[in-house]
Amino acid sequence: MGIMLTATGLLIGLLIGFNIPVILPQDYAKYMSVAALAALDSVFGGIRAAIEDKFDHGIFVTGFFSNALLAAGLTYIGDRLGIDLYLAAVVAFGVRLFQNLAIIRRHILKNKIT
Amino acid sequence: MSQRTTVYISIMLVAAILGIMLAVQFRVVNRSPGGISANRAEELLTDLKQINREQENLKKEIADLNYKLNQVNKGKSEAIEALRGELNKVRMSAGLVTVTGPGVEVVLDNPKNETEPGMPPGLFIIRDEDLLKVVNELWGAGAEAISINGQRIIATSEIRLAAPFININTRRVVPPYQVLAVGNPDTLVSSLELPGGLVEYLRSLGIDITVEKHDDLTIPAYAER
Repeated sequence: MGIMLTATGLLIGLLIGFNIPVILPQDYAKYMSVAALAALDSVFGGIRAAIEDKFDHGIFVTGFFSNALLAAGLTYIGDRLGIDLYLAAVVAFGVRLFQNLAIIRRHILKNKIT
Repeated sequence: MSQRTTVYISIMLVAAILGIMLAVQFRVVNRSPGGISANRAEELLTDLKQINREQENLKKEIADLNYKLNQVNKGKSEAIEALRGELNKVRMSAGLVTVTGPGVEVVLDNPKNETEPGMPPGLFIIRDEDLLKVVNELWGAGAEAISINGQRIIATSEIRLAAPFININTRRVVPPYQVLAVGNPDTLVSSLELPGGLVEYLRSLGIDITVEKHDDLTIPAYAER
């Protein structure tokens, strides 16, 4: 049920994203990519929390936006300072993404078996 | 249950936003495969700065060279003027231009009456030497240009006896010989009519010679063959 809804939401978002006439300038593509990664992590975290029945609406929504903005901001500051700070965001969110995916997978498998 | 639906709706909304972000990102990356890295942009920026500096330097050089060119052009017109004057002088002395001005006209003719029977005819005709002497005397008196019967005397002109004629500039010239000279008339005449001078000498040979001053003589240019 939750995953279905998430998938439809994602589908709707993709449809909108592919059809809006605004095209992001090349300069901001980097920030957008890191923000998208952070958002992806937040969504998987939300799914995991929902499966574990620990889901908190406020934490999820604020986490989603603050993570995305923080990641983009970090990348921007890194650019200004000449440090590839976005790598930190990529690594952190990537690790958490895989952890969340693993936990979700286990929960699904457990539910299937039982 | 209603708590759960709001949770799912919020997840759906967030997923939608994520979808938008992913799609936008996908389009940006697809639009220019490979993309332009920040390093590349910085490289181009430094290149641009360097090229701008070079351009400024070159502009300064252009201004400098233009200034020099102007200076040279200013000098050039003066030099051209001087060269023109020089060329005119040289053309005149080479006999390539018609010369007009005050001067003298000397007319020499063979003796009319060939008395002295028994003498071969043609003994008392005017010879090339006589004309040469006249020309030489005129040059020596400061003549600017000389012509004999319309033949301009130039550096390569010959005055040469060829049987009954005299050749000047390889043209046959026949008596009476009209020698025109442009120059100060008084000087020319006085040098010719010096007591014991050339005119007296030629008269003594029986040559019919007249010397006249003219205010306005025209001496033709050397005619090329």
